[in-house]
Amino acid sequence: MQYMLIHAGAPDLDWAWDDEAWAALTSWLDEAIGSGVSIEGSPLRLDADATTVKVRDGQLIVTDGPYAETKEQVAGYDVIECAGLEEATGWAGRHPHSWMGAVEVRALVGGAPAVHLPAPRAGQTRYMMLVCTDPAVGPQEVASMESADAWAAEMDGRGIRLFGSELEPPSAARTVRVRERRAIVTDGPFVETKEQVAGFDVLECADLDEAIEAAAKHPMARVGIVEVRPFRPLGDD
Amino acid sequence: MPAGQSPEPAGGAVGAPAADTEATAASTVETVVADAFRQEWGRITAALIHQTGDWDLAEECAQDAFAQALRRWPGDGVPNRPGAWLMTVARNGAIDRLRRSSTYHAKVEEMAVMASRETGTGDPEPGADDSGVADERLRLIFTCCHPALALEARVALTLRTLTGLGTAEIARAFLVPEATMAKRLVRAKQKIAHARIPYRVPPASALPQRVPGVLAVLYLVFNEGYAASAGDDLIRRDLCDRAIALAQLLAELLPAEPEAKGLLALMLFQHARQAARVNDRGDLVTLEDQDRARWDQARIGLARRHLEDALAARRPGQYLIQAAIAACHAAAPTALATDWPRIARLYQHLADLTGSPVVELNRAVAVAMADGPAAGLALLQRLEPAGALAGYYLLPATRADFLRRLGRHQEAASAYEQAAALAGTGPERRFLNARLAEARAQDRSV
Repeated sequence: MQYMLIHAGAPDLDWAWDDEAWAALTSWLDEAIGSGVSIEGSPLRLDADATTVKVRDGQLIVTDGPYAETKEQVAGYDVIECAGLEEATGWAGRHPHSWMGAVEVRALVGGAPAVHLPAPRAGQTRYMMLVCTDPAVGPQEVASMESADAWAAEMDGRGIRLFGSELEPPSAARTVRVRERRAIVTDGPFVETKEQVAGFDVLECADLDEAIEAAAKHPMARVGIVEVRPFRPLGDD
Repeated sequence: MPAGQSPEPAGGAVGAPAADTEATAASTVETVVADAFRQEWGRITAALIHQTGDWDLAEECAQDAFAQALRRWPGDGVPNRPGAWLMTVARNGAIDRLRRSSTYHAKVEEMAVMASRETGTGDPEPGADDSGVADERLRLIFTCCHPALALEARVALTLRTLTGLGTAEIARAFLVPEATMAKRLVRAKQKIAHARIPYRVPPASALPQRVPGVLAVLYLVFNEGYAASAGDDLIRRDLCDRAIALAQLLAELLPAEPEAKGLLALMLFQHARQAARVNDRGDLVTLEDQDRARWDQARIGLARRHLEDALAARRPGQYLIQAAIAACHAAAPTALATDWPRIARLYQHLADLTGSPVVELNRAVAVAMADGPAAGLALLQRLEPAGALAGYYLLPATRADFLRRLGRHQEAASAYEQAAALAGTGPERRFLNARLAEARAQDRSV
């Protein structure tokens, strides 16, 4: 089974990543990649570099910032493959983000499984596209939303979409926090905002305008909120 | 050539100015440099950002070029073409800096090729790039005004890069500490780099979406020039002229966009009143008391023509309506002759379009002029409870004015006091305090 690990943390604690945390990250990656558990993943730029896209009444609305203003923000992700939720939660608990902040574990549902991504093409930028629900939009409108299959096919064909998946609902999530070396596992997402992540896609685009165009075409842009956040190269400051 | 030295551009220099004293020569040069700064800063910054992709480098090299001008022109004389001199010096400075950084090796070569391809005056051929952009600054302004940047970031970046205002000045204009503004600028540039906001004029299909964001920024800039929110300078001509020049550029590029002309018309109407807005003591003169003979009729004529062009498109827009309101004022030879009912109707259209409480406030003022202060007060009483205008000094100031006209001097005095406490600039606070004193005097004499 495949799970998404959503790494969350307070952006102003970015500086708090000390040598111990970095060492832990390196060994987590070595272990996860070495054992075939890790499929793909990346740190993301801070929420200040996020852009949110909505389409309302046919109008494109682009705003600066992440899908929700919360103290803890999405800071990175991993897609892992393991036997079940217990094992996935275990991996989450060994990731330094679980003590720097929190790691949310959520199963990928439907669709093709994630595979290792090719190396980024020169001159292109990768973006995490977070597809989120908008509490202001009624359930009937959401239910009437068309499937994202056509969108995915178009973006796959254009080389813009590398991979994506719907996620199981936030209520099925588990969040791991390690405090004073003790793992605290709670049911639910890392933060109880009204806006919740429902799925994700990894985009590779020439620039932000292309990423915004792709996000705006996603059916959820009309009934939800789509956030576009650039990847952060590992080791970048 | 030694690092840090730049060649003189072809074109030669005029002889050293005939100066009585060194001090006079220096201050004449300072004036020339200041003029050149206003004219050229945006062009130079835009060109360097385009060529190097490095915003900080562009600003620093532009800054250095002007500093060099101040040092060298008093002795060498002012060049025939100051803009060309500055552009060449700035560009050479950038090449020098990049040369020292090995990761930019390819960029340096590219720039050197670009520089040698030019005719030696330092001016790029007009329309030399593929998007048909005649003015480098348009790329810069569309990038600064990208919707992925927060509005306050767009305004700050536009002011910094296009007008050359210093971080401290921009901070004062927006009532934030300098450190906050500096951070805002750094963050904006980081977002452009990290999120890969493209440095370009948007494709034609995207322009209708992107233009309102640019107009909003230009209008904010103009307003800062027109009515500074802090300090004693009520009118910052530089900002008004610069905002108008940029609006002009936008209107030329986008003939099918009536709001661009609408905004330009609005700015011109407002700017036409500049000479009459502040008296010799630096006090604010209200619209009704302004000496209309001091209004710039040439600007008004120009504004009217742009407004008529824009109205022909038959598409309502907020700047268009505001320009139409300004046109009503401009058309009235005296304050008494103002068509207030028409203005009140236009404000109604504007309120319907924008839902803005400030517009509702202005509408109350117009209604008070058309139907009497009691009618205006009634509108205010509906508006105030929502609290959207709390802290906005014009709300109590307007209430005070209605109360004054109704002879309710004690209440007027207390409202003037509230307004004066909230008001920012020297002239506005002085005006309100003067009205406060009058109201108190009237109250005591009753």
